[in-house]
Amino acid sequence: MSTNLSPEASTVPNQATKSSARGSAIYAENLSKCYRLYNKPSHRLWDLLFGLKTYQEFWAVRNVYLDIPHGSTVGIIGENGAGKSSLLKLLTGVTKPTTGSVEVSGRVASLLELGAGFHPEFSGRENIHLNCSILGMTSEEIAERFDKIVAFSELGDFIERPVKTYSSGMYVRLGFSVAASVDPDILIIDEALSVGDEHFRGKCTNRINEFREQGKTILFVSHDMGAVKSMCQWVVLMDRGEVLEQGTAEKVADEYLKRAHARGNERLSALNRGSSEYPRWGSGEVEVVDVQMLGPDGVASHVLRTGEPFSIRLRWKAHQATKNPVFGLGIYRSDGTYVNGSNHHWRDQPLEIRDVEAGEEGEVVMSADKLALLHGQYYLTSFLYDHSKAAPTPIDHREHVLTFEVLDPKRQQHGMLHLNSRWSVRRRRPGGDLSGESNA
Amino acid sequence: MFELIRSVRRHRRLLRDFVVRDLKGRYIGSTMGFFWSIIFPLVNLAIYSFVFRLVLKARWSDQQPEEQTILLMFAGIVVWSAFAEAVARATTTLVENSNLIQKVVFPSEILPVYLGISSWVNMCIGLVFVLVGAVWYGYIDPLAAPAVRAAPGDPEYVPLALGSSLVVLPLLFVLQYVFALGLGYILSALNLFIRDVSHLIGVVLTVWMFATPIFYAPAQVVKAEYAWMLVINPMHWLIQAYRDVLIFGQWPEGAPLARFAIVAAATFLLGTSFFNKSKQRFPDLL
Repeated sequence: MSTNLSPEASTVPNQATKSSARGSAIYAENLSKCYRLYNKPSHRLWDLLFGLKTYQEFWAVRNVYLDIPHGSTVGIIGENGAGKSSLLKLLTGVTKPTTGSVEVSGRVASLLELGAGFHPEFSGRENIHLNCSILGMTSEEIAERFDKIVAFSELGDFIERPVKTYSSGMYVRLGFSVAASVDPDILIIDEALSVGDEHFRGKCTNRINEFREQGKTILFVSHDMGAVKSMCQWVVLMDRGEVLEQGTAEKVADEYLKRAHARGNERLSALNRGSSEYPRWGSGEVEVVDVQMLGPDGVASHVLRTGEPFSIRLRWKAHQATKNPVFGLGIYRSDGTYVNGSNHHWRDQPLEIRDVEAGEEGEVVMSADKLALLHGQYYLTSFLYDHSKAAPTPIDHREHVLTFEVLDPKRQQHGMLHLNSRWSVRRRRPGGDLSGESNA
Repeated sequence: MFELIRSVRRHRRLLRDFVVRDLKGRYIGSTMGFFWSIIFPLVNLAIYSFVFRLVLKARWSDQQPEEQTILLMFAGIVVWSAFAEAVARATTTLVENSNLIQKVVFPSEILPVYLGISSWVNMCIGLVFVLVGAVWYGYIDPLAAPAVRAAPGDPEYVPLALGSSLVVLPLLFVLQYVFALGLGYILSALNLFIRDVSHLIGVVLTVWMFATPIFYAPAQVVKAEYAWMLVINPMHWLIQAYRDVLIFGQWPEGAPLARFAIVAAATFLLGTSFFNKSKQRFPDLL
């Protein structure tokens, strides 16, 4: 069990550790971390004094095996509470493993969280010194890099103010500038970058790409599959402290989406069971009994995928005779943006349901070949209006009748809607022919 | 213990940054800056001398003039404040720096060390005033021995003076520092297991202060038949040694000082080993 993680030790180049012999930047074997949860603070005292086992064990990380070669960019994904941060703390040496061992060769710089490693009372300048000292740099090294760090952070005069007065964006800027400037062999980034503005994010991406070109090892942690996929060749998927799968980004991404699908369904089913609190109004001659979303296989689901066929089924029941009921559906994004609305009557070839009798039951289905919605959460509102009068009057209007989620495995387009678009390029070299290309 | 000392040595740059930062915060951050470190003990002195001398009419002894009483109290306050500050701040320092301990590989063993150094610097400023007082009343404006002779059994009048015994001062500094640091290590780590420690220590330090002959002479405790309180109180031995050296120009008594050294060393050993043993668990305890 050798852990070579103190900054002093890790700055020594070419340590004769097992891992450097193997060529791994990070090598972890059978790595586990168990936290003790005490019901009462005093239980901790009894444990400390007499060894009474009054705690419950919580295994944040379980039997993790990692072998990350030098120069690779590795993504770690998993949902909240999957143990990503606990794993990172073990890898950086902040916490000690309960079982197993970690070997890290090279200087590690980490961006674990907003303002991690900053002293709130210290000024930006002092924190740069503090951070660099912790990373094991000498005074000369710090002096040499100080201006570069300040310039990269673009903090200007704020560098003399205590960091407790910083905005979250400024925190990230300072943190990233320090981490990037210490010239680490291994850079660990924990979603922190998503806070900065576009401009700074661009700079960070550039810097990270530079690292990759220099053959440095990068560990990127996120629960955003899209971001991980675009940056990393190798992805580790974690769930409840364990590594479920590790492999190429493509392979793991599929597994992750499958899991997200199943999880989303569970969560949304629970959510939809409680949807009766949303407003519902109308005269009530006919009732919309239930609304279901059906996936490509015709099975009810709360999670759909962009580009796949889907349908929405309304089941209804008439309590009194009605002349001309018309069913409609509205699709809204979770923030309330009205995305689409339609009914079976207002079309080129209108469908009509004439003279419904009391006690009648039936179904109305809306379907489409390709779901154009992109990644996000949406909800449905069902309309049932009487069109026999001069203006349609509500029979059964149900707001927010169903919540559903759309997963976009490709993530090629951004925004709310997938457009079936084409791009074309035309170019003419000096003295050459006109050439062109287009895609579908 | 040696592991801890080595680590502190290795991170001496970081340690320096913390000390400088702390002193700067104390002296530069506020408008009055430097003066606060003098004003606090002076105000304390004013309050206590009002209460004990003017209201309660407490005297050091029948033989010691009033001005000396103030000086003796002041020396006690300065030393005690530095000690209490180092211990009290060390107790909460791990919690206060949780951001560093939880998020990066941080040598937490330097925290009690820097607090000790910082409070020592502060104490030195106060001690300069004590020395100035000793010089003033000892040489420039010497106080005459009172006309009344001591009653049998009373301590004799001792004139103020400075002497070669001042060379003992660094030893006193080191012993005090080692004792405070040892306590700081124990309490800072213990406070992570039981958060009540930080509250408890405030109470304990107050009781301890009044149990130590700072505002009254040790002889009065003996007279009141509470001599056992002096026997078990290491801070009494230390403060007496400081007074002997700084105010009376005498060599401190050897036996109490030796006892203090033993207590300090034992505390330090216990503190460093406990701190070292529980150090790995700090990030999980915060």
